[in-house]
Amino acid sequence: MTEPLLVLENVTKNYGAIQALRGISFSIGKGEVVALLGDNGAGKSTLVKIIAGGLEPSSGRMLFEGKEFLAKTPAEAKAAGVETVYQDLSLCTNVDVVANFFMGREITRKVLGIPILDERAMEAVVGKALASAGTRIPSLRTNVEHLSGGQRQAIELNRFVHWGGKLVLLDEPFAALGVEQTRRGLEMIRQVANQGIGVVIITHIMQQAFQVADRIVVIRQGVVAGDVARNKTSPDAVINMITGETLAGAGPAG
Amino acid sequence: MNPRTRKALEFVLDNLVWFMLVFVLIVFSIFVPNYFQLGIFANIIEASSVLGVMSIGLSLVIIAGHMDLSVESVAALSAMTVGILFCSSGIGMGIQLSPQWLMVPVSLLIALVVGGIIGAFNGYLVVKVKMSAFIITLASYIWVRGLVLVISGGRSAQDLAPAIRWFGIQRLAGLPLTAWIAVACFVLFSLIMAKTPFGRHLVMIGGNETATFRAGIRVNRNLVIAFVLAGAIAGLAGWLLAIRTSGATANLGTGLLFNAFAAVVIGGVSLKGGVGTLPGVYAGVLLLSSINTAINLMGLPANFTQVIHGLLVLAAVLLDAFKQTIRQRLA
Repeated sequence: MTEPLLVLENVTKNYGAIQALRGISFSIGKGEVVALLGDNGAGKSTLVKIIAGGLEPSSGRMLFEGKEFLAKTPAEAKAAGVETVYQDLSLCTNVDVVANFFMGREITRKVLGIPILDERAMEAVVGKALASAGTRIPSLRTNVEHLSGGQRQAIELNRFVHWGGKLVLLDEPFAALGVEQTRRGLEMIRQVANQGIGVVIITHIMQQAFQVADRIVVIRQGVVAGDVARNKTSPDAVINMITGETLAGAGPAG
Repeated sequence: MNPRTRKALEFVLDNLVWFMLVFVLIVFSIFVPNYFQLGIFANIIEASSVLGVMSIGLSLVIIAGHMDLSVESVAALSAMTVGILFCSSGIGMGIQLSPQWLMVPVSLLIALVVGGIIGAFNGYLVVKVKMSAFIITLASYIWVRGLVLVISGGRSAQDLAPAIRWFGIQRLAGLPLTAWIAVACFVLFSLIMAKTPFGRHLVMIGGNETATFRAGIRVNRNLVIAFVLAGAIAGLAGWLLAIRTSGATANLGTGLLFNAFAAVVIGGVSLKGGVGTLPGVYAGVLLLSSINTAINLMGLPANFTQVIHGLLVLAAVLLDAFKQTIRQRLA
């Protein structure tokens, strides 16, 4: 494994008496794609929110690039270089494609010291980004509410590819995509990883995990039930880890 | 449908309220005697300045997905504060500053600060205590008006200092300076909403607050600023109101809130947040004002105004639903 980008050490999260995470430890290397698998309620989304800065862990610590890391807000996580694509889409449907693409990071030019949106520059960037990803949207100036589910998800995916950062978290990013778009999406993930960005992808679909991931981490009942390199395991073994029937193939990677 | 007709149709839909305004003005000019005069049109703009300014603040908060019911009472409190300090009869203290013109910026600043403080209070409770803006500002609507009664003892202040009143008397191109202030506010805030990141963020917060938070936009900060602005703008409306009436009474501006809501809704702002533009709101304000003027000129009892305003709001909401269905067909 390459140099670790993010290390989680015994991260827990309690909601009152309920332990959603009972001590998660694993790490992600630079340029590595980790598939995070687990049954519903295993704690995957909770974990993503903790890394992405929506939720604070009850205990444990995280190291990002070797330094102590705790993002109190998504803004802090973004500043550190953590991008997240959430399961429920994070688009503002009342504004157009360009505004969504640049949400919170608008290109501005100063007029008398006042920041003014530079719409033309932003539109050019978005047009380029979408074209290179092969996403077709009739007009970048259409409000997102008029676009299909697949087009919306494509915008989100292109957004993270464009902004990159250092670590990308994808929470079931392909739920609304068709076959061809999913293939493209998986390609995009590889592309991003090849740039040295760490990728964590949560998915329910075993085939996707095996197509794209370098390593598979299984979470069950709030603990890591398995952490294996993709080429040293099989879908059946992973399913067993998810359901908890056996611990075959479990253990630290490589 | 070819792209050009689609574009034309979208343009009409986006600016529907302006077309309505023009239509109404033409109809009144034809059928109401004496309506078609420059003086009447100037009067429409002049009469709508206080309501217009107040509607700007209200729109900002509604576009950001919240609500501010307190703007009317805040305007009254600002007007009363200015009245008590700078009026010479009634409960006025008749404070004089020299040079005289100094009273203008000082009184304006006081009005803005009074409004801004109450806006900050509303914003803080909405953002930090996470209470519904509707309830908090309803409470403010009540207690701020109560405060007006308390500080005035139910009495009024008259004879505002002439240096301040000058704004309501001095005319530029046929309009008093107070009306120009309202127009300038609309231009300024329309630009802010359409061209700056702050405005864009408010619209997006109104559309999907979670998404903007996740995108790293400082939602709470923006919302507090929106509430402070709404309060300060309401303070400005109060200042204009004090100039217009040359003082302040305890029940000054009662009923303005509902007119402001009517103007905002007619102007195409959705109460669900995230939708609407300030030029549209200004058209809404002018529409209300031109209808009032027509009612006056026709010699109808003023009581009809309220019935007509209510029906207009209903019509605006229906029109909005209709616009939505057309847009869905367009997409």
